[in-house]
This record gives sequence, structure tokens and C-alpha cells, in this order.
Amino acid sequence: MNDLHFDIQIATAERPLVDVRDFRIPLDRITFLFGESGIGKSLIARAVYGLLDPGEFRVKIDGKPYESYLERPETKAIKETSFYVFQEPSSHLNPLLPLAVQLGEGSLAKVPDNSHVIEEMWEGTTKKEIDSLLEVYPKPYRPSGGEKQRIFLIMALKKIDLMLERRHDIHRCLFVFDEPTGSLDNHFRNVFLSLLFKRFQQFRFTTLLITHDYSMVSEVARSHSSIADQVAFKELGLHRGHLSLKDFQPETYLGWLNQQQGTIASTSSREPAKPLLRVESGAEVFGQRLTISKDQEGKHSSPLEIGPGSMVYLKAPSGTGKTTLVKMMMGLIRGNKLRLMLDGMTLTEKTPRRFWQKRIWGKEMTMVFQHADEALNPRSTVTETFLGLPSTKPISRGDIRQTLGELYDFEITDEFLNKEVSTLSGGQKQRLNLLRSMFLNTDILILDEPLNGLDFESVTKVLAMIEQKQRAGKGILLISHNEEIFDALIPSEQIYYLHARPATQ
Amino acid sequence: MSRSTHNSSAAWCQQKDRLWLLIWISGLTVLGMWDAVFLNQPSFALLRTAFLNSTVAGVLVVGFSVVMGWSVGVSSYFLETRRPALYFPFTFLLNVVRSIPQIVGILVGYIVLTILIEQEVLRSQFSQLVWMAFVISMFVFLELVDLIRERIAHYNKLDFFQAMLCCGIKEGRIINREILWKNSRAHLLHKMISIFGITIFLQCSIDFIVSVGLSTDVSLSNFPVTLGGLLAKLDSKQDILAIGSSLSSMSNMQSLFFEHLQGVSIAFVIVFSLLCIYKISSGLVKRYHL
Repeated sequence: MNDLHFDIQIATAERPLVDVRDFRIPLDRITFLFGESGIGKSLIARAVYGLLDPGEFRVKIDGKPYESYLERPETKAIKETSFYVFQEPSSHLNPLLPLAVQLGEGSLAKVPDNSHVIEEMWEGTTKKEIDSLLEVYPKPYRPSGGEKQRIFLIMALKKIDLMLERRHDIHRCLFVFDEPTGSLDNHFRNVFLSLLFKRFQQFRFTTLLITHDYSMVSEVARSHSSIADQVAFKELGLHRGHLSLKDFQPETYLGWLNQQQGTIASTSSREPAKPLLRVESGAEVFGQRLTISKDQEGKHSSPLEIGPGSMVYLKAPSGTGKTTLVKMMMGLIRGNKLRLMLDGMTLTEKTPRRFWQKRIWGKEMTMVFQHADEALNPRSTVTETFLGLPSTKPISRGDIRQTLGELYDFEITDEFLNKEVSTLSGGQKQRLNLLRSMFLNTDILILDEPLNGLDFESVTKVLAMIEQKQRAGKGILLISHNEEIFDALIPSEQIYYLHARPATQ
Repeated sequence: MSRSTHNSSAAWCQQKDRLWLLIWISGLTVLGMWDAVFLNQPSFALLRTAFLNSTVAGVLVVGFSVVMGWSVGVSSYFLETRRPALYFPFTFLLNVVRSIPQIVGILVGYIVLTILIEQEVLRSQFSQLVWMAFVISMFVFLELVDLIRERIAHYNKLDFFQAMLCCGIKEGRIINREILWKNSRAHLLHKMISIFGITIFLQCSIDFIVSVGLSTDVSLSNFPVTLGGLLAKLDSKQDILAIGSSLSSMSNMQSLFFEHLQGVSIAFVIVFSLLCIYKISSGLVKRYHL
């Protein structure tokens, strides 16, 4: 079977960004591309699709200037026949046109009727509600991230339908989906995958799907096993300092996931005698009452309790307020009716900020923020990220080197320690973000999306580290979209659900 | 060997800050050489002293403003978040200073200085310069306070501020080191340059106002000579007027560089220095990614 294959070099005027040899996209197959965030997946995909600006980047494809690649007939054909779903849809919707009009712009106007795709992607929503949504002009708060993402996926599916009608052009297509389901919950992610695979079964076309969501591997194995041989899984990573593309064996993930069943359960199923932290249900913020419950429907509210050596998983759909609740718990957001008991202290929204500063932050409780990019000072060096942390003795470079060694699989050189955070890849930033909090010895550790942007190897290392903390008697509160992984790790009695209802009810 | 030297000097000049430093020094050197030949010696000596004094005063104002602006800006943040009762009177006091027009405030300060000079409390030229700079900085440092509060407010909303707090890092360290030093140097540098420019401008304005006879009790005669003071002298004013007349009659242009050299030189030094300093600071910001 033929592949599209390229040697790609991308740089800015200041520094090289990507240098990858033999980057292969199998023709007429769906390729899932994994790899840690910031390693260059999107940049490579955009280069192949012909989207990079030669004025902004110095690009060479197969050793030749990018301009000559853009002039190739096959590159021009990609732009005419294909579709690229961008990772961040916000900046790619026209704010001056309603969504319905944008769904029928350009070549998409030739697709006769795709209302069924729209209905499928908004399953559970009435036609009237969908119609009123499609009348919206894109603005910052409406449509939501998930709605925007669905609009783009519908556009791509419409384009695929169009190309399926013109069978003679389908081999020239390259459909790229860059993190297409980052803002969707698992149900709608699976709906999208079904729609994509359904079309793929009609006629094979080349697709590159970039994602961090390894649970797509099990979804393919579970729901699309009949065409599993037409699917390729690849991982882009640094191997001995060089960027390269390797095959990712689904069994690696599936086997590992199997092994995880119950591992955490064995340590956390012990019923804690006295919880380290207890958070009462019913805190109010932004006009919403946040109810915690142990049942998924939220019929019976219950306090969230974290005991020594236990790991608790807080679940809710995107936008419910999981991060808001933990920020309230950390005293960063002030709401109403907050009440938590921590190590004999009762904390409410009236507890002065000075108290959190003196007694809680970094001493009793710490939190890892979900976006490492925003949680770290980009102007600090790796070493400086650890300086200033509360510690009984001065923090030496040796201590930092040892801590970093736990998650970085290369030798921690002085050069790396002196690197500015802004120059690290997304995955490296996320590991640094985690390690800064892990360095502290707090009884309670709150982890908001700890697996964000990590490759599979790092995921396993981070989970091992969390487990180590748990075994050391620390209480851990987790928020994560990686439901498959944490559902396997954490026993059901340690799972809590969050519901948001208007506070007036 | 010569080729590599040529390449390294070309690379040196590619950095804009260095290039503009070279242009500044070269421009002033050429002007100095020209004035040494064509300007009368007493005027040339005055010009040199005025340039030196103005530069020293400008640097001192910048220094005072940074110290006052930084400490007042950070203190006002901590008062607001920790001692709200003290924040109101503190802000009120700052706003009282803010409400005084800079020129009026500095003029009053100069009157006090004149009295101190007359009573021989301030004897040395340097101490007079230091106090002049302090008076000016009293009315310009609030610009730095506003910038510092703006930078803190901007970062206060971002995750990295909250994430550091959650890790137990002291708020003072986050503000002083992570926000102001690590992330606001470019902004501070630009503000410092603008304060330097404002100082030269205010000096010129004050000296000019005093020179047209604000009061018979106030005299600049005992103040250290500055570019503004020199520009406010009668012969310099005539030189500046000559620039205007040469624009309407080009035949007078030649005389500018020989007969009206004092005023033209001062005007050139002020404008050219401000331009070069601005370019140097922009180059520094770009080179060090501040």
C-alpha cells in the first residue's frame, strides 16, 4: 500500500521547530496520530496540507523550498478536495455570518441535504433548538466550544459526502482532524467517530486524525473492529533527540488498561477512619448551586470526602463547574455556602485570604492547574519554577534534578535546567507543572486534568507517580476527561458527580 | 582575518540597540567637533556642562521614580488586598499629588530650592541637581505606579499567579520577581525612557517659564545650567527663531550652522538624544526578548 511520505523541516527566524524524516500518512486509511502536546503534530499536518505561510516559517519539504511544494498539483488538489478541522475552531468561524450560512458556504453549498448529520451531532436536542442555534452569529460566549467543534465536524463530514459523490476525486483527498473532539464528551466523540467510519466504509479515503485521547484506541477496537485493519495508529515522539514517527500498537494501550483494573482500588478501597478533607455539597457561585452526589443522576447529594491514601474522582460534563468548585476549595474564587473541613479547620467563603496564604496553600493543600501553558511563568527557567516553594531547607539544583528525573526520560543537564519555560514543548510543560506541585508534601493534592497533552509513556509515569503519592498517605482529588483510564483505576465508591442547578431552585 | 573582523562588526551593528548607540555617539561627536571649531569657547563649555547636567538630572529622575514607583505601586496593591482601611487614605494622598499639574508642582518645588540655594543650604552643584531631580520625580513617578498596578492587575487574573499561590509561593515574590521583573521589564524600560524624555521636556518648559519672568524673586542664575536653561537664554531663543526664518528664506540656512550654533546645537542634542535613546531601548527589548 502506498503512503504519502515526507521529510519536513520547519523553523522560524529564531529557532528550528520541527525536523522529521520519513513522515508517513498511509493512503486510503484513517490514521490516528498521537504524541505529546507541542511536539509539532499540528505544524506538520498544516505543512502537508499547504497551510503554512512561507513568510512566517522557513519550511522545506523533501529538501526543497515550501514554495515548490505548494506548486505541486497534488498539493493544490488537497486544498480543492479536502477539509481541515482546526484544533481551535473559535478563530476560524466568520463572526459576520450566522452558523447556518457558514455550513453552506463554498463547495459545501453543493451538498444537497445534510440535516441528518446536524441532528446526529446534536442528538437529544430538538430541531427547534438546533435551528435557533444555527441562527447565531459566532461571538465569544455563543456558540460554546463544543458547539463550534460540532459545526466544524459537520462541515468536514459534508465535504466527505460531497467527495463520496465524485468518486474519481476521492483518492486525491486528505481530511485532517486536529484534536476534533477536545471539547466533546465521550458520547458525542463516539457519534462523530461512527459518522466518520460509516462514510469510510462506503469508500476509502485518506484521513489524519490528531489526538491526545488514547481511549479512541479502545473505541475503535470496541465499535469499529470490522475495519480495524484499515486504521493505523502512530505516535510522534522524540527518540534519542530526534523527532520520528512510530507505529503505536493498540495492544500496548489496551493491555495496559486491562492491567490497571483495580490497582488503585487495592490501596484506596480501605475505608478511611477520618477524612482529611470534607467538602459539603451545595456551594453557590455565578448563580449556580453546585451539588455533589455519589449517584450519576444527582438525586441524593452527599459531601465529598477524601481520606488519607485515597483517590477521589470528580466527574461532570464540560462546563458544569468542576474547576470552579476546586478553585473555591482553594480559596481562589469566592462564592456562597462553601464549607469544607480540613485537618480540624473549617473553611468558608468568609475565611480571610491571609489564612489560606499562611496555612493552606502549599502547606495543607495544593492544586495542579489544567493548562500548563498558563499555569507556569513562561519567562522563568526550569530551575526558577521550583524556587520560592515552601521548603524546610534551601532547594538545591540537585533536588530539582532528582525531581525532574522522575518524569523526564533524558539526562537533566544544566542546559535544560536553564531553559526558559516558553521554549519547552507542551508535554514538557505539563510534566513540569505536575512536578512543581508533587515536589510539595501537602496532605491534599488536587489534580485538574493531569494527563493533558501527554504521550502514552508519560501518562503511565504520571499515574505511577500519583499512585506513589497515594501510597504515601496523601489524599488526591482528580478531575479528568480521560474517563476510561480513571474509571478503570478508581473504584466506583470513590467517584463523585457534580451537578449545576440555578441557585434559586 | 580582516574578513572575519568585518563580519563581526557587521553582526555587531545588526543589533538595533548597538547600531543606535553608535549613531548617538557618532552624532554627538560630530556635533562636538563642529562646535569646538565654530562655536565660541564660553558657549561650548556651557553646552557641554548643560548636556552633562541634563543627562545626570534625567538619570536621577528615572532612578528616583523607579524606586518610588515600584515601592508605592506594590504597597498600594498589598494595602488594597490586606489592609483595605489604609488603602483609601493612601490612594487619596496619591490622587492629591496626581491632581497637581506637573509644571505647577515643579515650579513650586523650584521656588523652595531657590530659597534653599539663596540661604546657602544647598551649596554644591551636585546636591542642587539631586534635589532638582527629586522635585521633578515627585510629579512623574505616579506614571510608574499606574503601570505597575496595571501589570499586577493583568497577571492577577491569569492562572500562573493563582497556580503559584496554590503552591505556597509568597505573594511578594510572585509580584516583584515573577510579574514585575520577569514579565514587565520591557514595559518598565519604555516607561523609564519616557520619564527621561518627560524630564528633559519639563526642564525646558520650567526654565522657559522662569526665563520669561514668572517672578522677580525667582532666578535661574544660581541653578546648575541645563539644556532647558540654556535654551531659555535670549541668544538661544534668537537662534531657534532663525531656524524658522531659514525655512522661509533658504539663503539663511547656511548661517544656521555658523552664526546660530548655540540654539541649533541645543535643539539638536535634545531631539537627537531622545530619538536615539528611544531606539536603543526598543532594540534592547527586542534583543533580550524582554
